[in-house]
Amino acid sequence: MHEFSDAHMLFGMSPLWFSSILFVLTYALIVTERLNRAIISMMAAALMIISGVLTQQQAVQGVDFNTIGLLTGMMIIVGVTRDSGVFQYLAIASAKLVKADPWGILLMLTLVTALLSALLDNVTTVLLVAPITLLITDTLKLNPYPYLFAEIFASNIGGTSTLIGDPPNIMIGSATGLGYNDFLFNLAPISLLVLVVTMVPIYLIWGRQLKAEPHLRNKVMLYREKDAIKDWILLKKSLFVLTLVMAGFIVGHDYGLQPATVAMFGAALLLLLNCFPYSQEKQTEMVAKTLADVEWITIFFFIGLFILVYGVESTGLLEMLAHQVLALTEGDKNVTAIAILFVSAVASTVVDNIPFVATMIPLIKNMALSMGGSQELLPLWWSLALGSCLGGNGSLVGASANLIVAGFAERSGQPIRFLPFMLIAFPLMMLSIIISAFYVNFRYF
Amino acid sequence: MKASEVMDPNPSTLKPTDTIECAASHIMDNRYRNLPVVDDNFCYVGMFGVNCLLKQVIPKQVFMDKGLKNVGFIHESFDDLFQRFAEVKDQPISICMSHEIKPVSPDTPLTETLLQLYETRSSIPVVEPGSCKLLGMISYWDVGRKIMKFKDQC
Repeated sequence: MHEFSDAHMLFGMSPLWFSSILFVLTYALIVTERLNRAIISMMAAALMIISGVLTQQQAVQGVDFNTIGLLTGMMIIVGVTRDSGVFQYLAIASAKLVKADPWGILLMLTLVTALLSALLDNVTTVLLVAPITLLITDTLKLNPYPYLFAEIFASNIGGTSTLIGDPPNIMIGSATGLGYNDFLFNLAPISLLVLVVTMVPIYLIWGRQLKAEPHLRNKVMLYREKDAIKDWILLKKSLFVLTLVMAGFIVGHDYGLQPATVAMFGAALLLLLNCFPYSQEKQTEMVAKTLADVEWITIFFFIGLFILVYGVESTGLLEMLAHQVLALTEGDKNVTAIAILFVSAVASTVVDNIPFVATMIPLIKNMALSMGGSQELLPLWWSLALGSCLGGNGSLVGASANLIVAGFAERSGQPIRFLPFMLIAFPLMMLSIIISAFYVNFRYF
Repeated sequence: MKASEVMDPNPSTLKPTDTIECAASHIMDNRYRNLPVVDDNFCYVGMFGVNCLLKQVIPKQVFMDKGLKNVGFIHESFDDLFQRFAEVKDQPISICMSHEIKPVSPDTPLTETLLQLYETRSSIPVVEPGSCKLLGMISYWDVGRKIMKFKDQC
């Protein structure tokens, strides 16, 4: 808990009550989706300061700039890289690799989605893979639903496996000091297992019926993936920087380099390499376009949330909640980890996992003393990461990537409906959580 | 001068229920770019033209919000394009009429009309004020011919 004095509270209000009400209201507003989430969180952050719960200086301290820097840096790198056409190349090449066989394409696009979600971020990945998927299924005269369904799952499962794959992991990594390798070694194996197991029901439900006429498959085989690359020089520069950034994530932790530093350095280097040959006016135009493509709504949503949660934390509310959780689980680490896993999964199915994880991080940190030190919290962090990332698969609103895919499906005239999706997705998600529970139990206890 | 002085008062029109195939033939045969669409009461309801036809033969994933930006990898034949066109040819033109071109009134000053002609890059419908009745169309050619009347003989 941070130092706090209630001497400056507006109208002498109780900081605990005020921040609790503000917190609940903010969550409620986020869930209703009536207002843009960035507006809600910025308003909540401003009220935290105006009411006197936090000073402006304290509010700035509450912002996790490692998370903000990592997100922004990766958004810039991905934004520049995607202009090269490399992601389309991968999707087309993978479809041709299986001779345009419908089930083979589903498997390959699922793999590509999972891999790119792990290495980049899952929102960007589905933005790039979904239109190609629709083009291929349209050409093969196939229902795109199974493909989009599998890609939603792959994006969230792939994102679970690395530090940078999904925002909850970025937040957990930043708050705990866990590095890229920690996430890779602890979450990648289980993510791979979950992905493989998930494909079995998808095959049984849809896969067996996927058939396409040979002449339609031939049309897909006529796609020239090399022509998807619009700028070979940019591709080389992008791959060079991406490799450097990945290496930085892997080895940087040992040298005290935070992921945000690595990502921002990569972003600056790629902008430099990309803009260097051009005139100053053109450089300004290129940088402005790249920066405009950064998802500022997400960034400001994070900033506001960090301040809100920091304010709530400063009143002692989260410490009280942590004690309540420990009382319920009787301080048993195993039970607490499994409880966090399931609660995170169900919560992430119905609410945005970002505010949920932002709240859970200080709550879990508050358990350190009772659990015997911060090192003892590791299984709880992995449970939180698995629950919040995989939980996103439970419903259409569980993760941003799901909504993006649903948007594409709607625009292609094949809408993904909330309930039919959830009827299959929720049990599948719960299956992944049960597998994760066994994993956490056997690996860490 | 006003819009009414440069408009063609007897333009070719289409009906919303016309099929895309019929409308396409009419447009291609007469080399039109856009034609106004009117209902049974000659009320202006939109425009239909070559852009809509092109849209029908290009993969629809290109036109989606955040859709495919690069389609250089797709290599199709005229037969492929016709197959795509054949899927929609019997649909009414109302499925892809453009509503973006705003009509002008007969009293709209010429310069304002020309600016709209320049900005929309399409012929502009002239509609009776207070109703939707189509009074005429203004095309580049109508305006061009009227201006060129004043040039010296070449």
